[in-house]
Amino acid sequence: MEAPPVAFRKATKRYPGAEQPALRELDLEVSGGEICVFVGPSGCGKTTAMRMVNRMVEITEGDILVGDTSVRERSPSQLRREIGYVIQQIGLFPHRTIADNIATVPRLSGWDRARVDARVEELMGLARIDPALRDRYPAQLSGGQQQRVGVARALAANPGVMLMDEPFGAVDPINREQLQNEFLRLQAEVRKTILFVTHDIDEAIKMGDRIAILRQGGVLAQYATPAELLMAPADDFVEDFVGADRALKRLALTRVRDIDLWEAPLAHVGQATSEVRAKLDGAEVPYALVIDSERRPLGWLSDDDLLRETVPARPDTSPEPTVELDDVMRDALSDLLQAETRYAPVVDADGRIAGVLSVEIVSEFLTSDEALTEEHSAAERAITE
Amino acid sequence: MNELALHVPAVADTAGKCAPGLPSSFCHHHSLSGCVGGNGLFCFGWAVDNFDRYVTPFFRHLEIVGISVVAGFVIAMALVVLSHRYRALAPPVLGFTGVLYTVPSVAFFFLLLPLTGFGLTTAVIPLTAYTLQIIYRNALAGLANVPPGAKDAGRGMGMTAQQLLWRVELPLATPEIIAGLRIATVSTVAIATLAFLAGAGGLGQPLYEQNGFKTNIIIVGALAMGMALALDLVLVLIQRLVTPWRKARTW
Repeated sequence: MEAPPVAFRKATKRYPGAEQPALRELDLEVSGGEICVFVGPSGCGKTTAMRMVNRMVEITEGDILVGDTSVRERSPSQLRREIGYVIQQIGLFPHRTIADNIATVPRLSGWDRARVDARVEELMGLARIDPALRDRYPAQLSGGQQQRVGVARALAANPGVMLMDEPFGAVDPINREQLQNEFLRLQAEVRKTILFVTHDIDEAIKMGDRIAILRQGGVLAQYATPAELLMAPADDFVEDFVGADRALKRLALTRVRDIDLWEAPLAHVGQATSEVRAKLDGAEVPYALVIDSERRPLGWLSDDDLLRETVPARPDTSPEPTVELDDVMRDALSDLLQAETRYAPVVDADGRIAGVLSVEIVSEFLTSDEALTEEHSAAERAITE
Repeated sequence: MNELALHVPAVADTAGKCAPGLPSSFCHHHSLSGCVGGNGLFCFGWAVDNFDRYVTPFFRHLEIVGISVVAGFVIAMALVVLSHRYRALAPPVLGFTGVLYTVPSVAFFFLLLPLTGFGLTTAVIPLTAYTLQIIYRNALAGLANVPPGAKDAGRGMGMTAQQLLWRVELPLATPEIIAGLRIATVSTVAIATLAFLAGAGGLGQPLYEQNGFKTNIIIVGALAMGMALALDLVLVLIQRLVTPWRKARTW
């Protein structure tokens, strides 16, 4: 199904007996095929906003449009079958096998058996679920596997819109990161309009094409791309929520290929060291990098290496850590810090040298705003794994 | 051969006729000496010779229990479905079935006798009524224990309230529903020994007719217990069969 835009039109939710509305005149538009993350402290109405889209929570005033149609004009169960739904508790049916869980919505919609079976198989492949798990029950799966099944089940009837309420909240941090990456890769393929709720600003920055920050009382504080949010928080609340380390968070937004790298003098195996020494004078990187005939880095030349007649095939210093063009800056910096080194060769997908990343580059990047004006959608950022 | 046989003269002397609870017709046919005449704890020979007199009451008992529990299950589950839809029904239904449960069975039979007469119906109505509270209460508890995430996911994927009930909630409440059914069945087997008072027969009949004869009491008791255990086992096996997702079994 084509991924339609979702538009909130002064959508308001008042619970009976509550003095303040849970959500106050929310007005924003999520473009088709984008991930919009709702983030904010507890009680800010982010889950309410999301659940109003499939009428799990009824709108009190205002409206929400999916595509051109008001959700108020749709029958709730029909509407919900056309909108994928993933929740933190995952909510797999414990009494149904993995295949039966994934088949839930297609069966509700009356698909025939052959079509359901084919779709289940396709989804298990798409969500990277081991086919051997097909006839197991949810309790026999790990949390991460269950979450994959939850996502596969939500995608089963190929909805245009997906609602995800803290979908990775119950998963441990290591698995969470993996699931996030997998999901972004999946989204790059399926291109759904996704409304994603989280309380974790880092997750919001990582997952969102746009982020809606809500504050207590259900008021929208800012709706912007992650970069805009980090660079120009609308007010003190957003600034606080984004965190004092927002400069560092920017690092997660940019890939190494998006910045200007340094060049190190390159040396070929067997080349006369005198030529290399000449290149070292005034070079950006004061060390020479040895590369093989395929331009793959072999290592850094040490002072001892340079005293030899020719460049050795096995230089004293290993080229590690090497950074890939598709790595985000945060991971690259972390590699540099972990190896306690100032320079790392940057290679392309084939392992060929593309430049050198230095601690200075990262530091300059952090103090400039230039890199932040470029926008990269979450899906684009993810394709590259 | 039997220690208790030593008491025979005492029983015979003081009573001069039959031991209390033993029908006189029965005493006439047996000598007052030996296991039977001495009302020994368990007279194996007599049990073997007279076993066929328990066959009809046994199956009658099973019939009474079967009808009562099945009827009780159907009515209770219908009430569950209704009160799941109309929540306000649950407290009055619980209260009403609770009151039914407190009516003494003998009084219940005698109250019904003028209406339904001597026979199966009069026995089955109270026994059915007693199962309602147990089955209903357990099923409600089972529905309350369904994981909220599963319900939310079901609704969020577009299940109607009825689809959610039949496809998610009731299947997940099955262990508790069967647990209620097991208690109801075992207790009905016990209470059904009074069904003969309503003229419905069952194992209570031979029990009452020779209620001083220990061998008889033991045979009836063993048959009733055996029936209860066997039915319980059947229900456990059914539960295993219909809830394959549960790895831990409750016995």
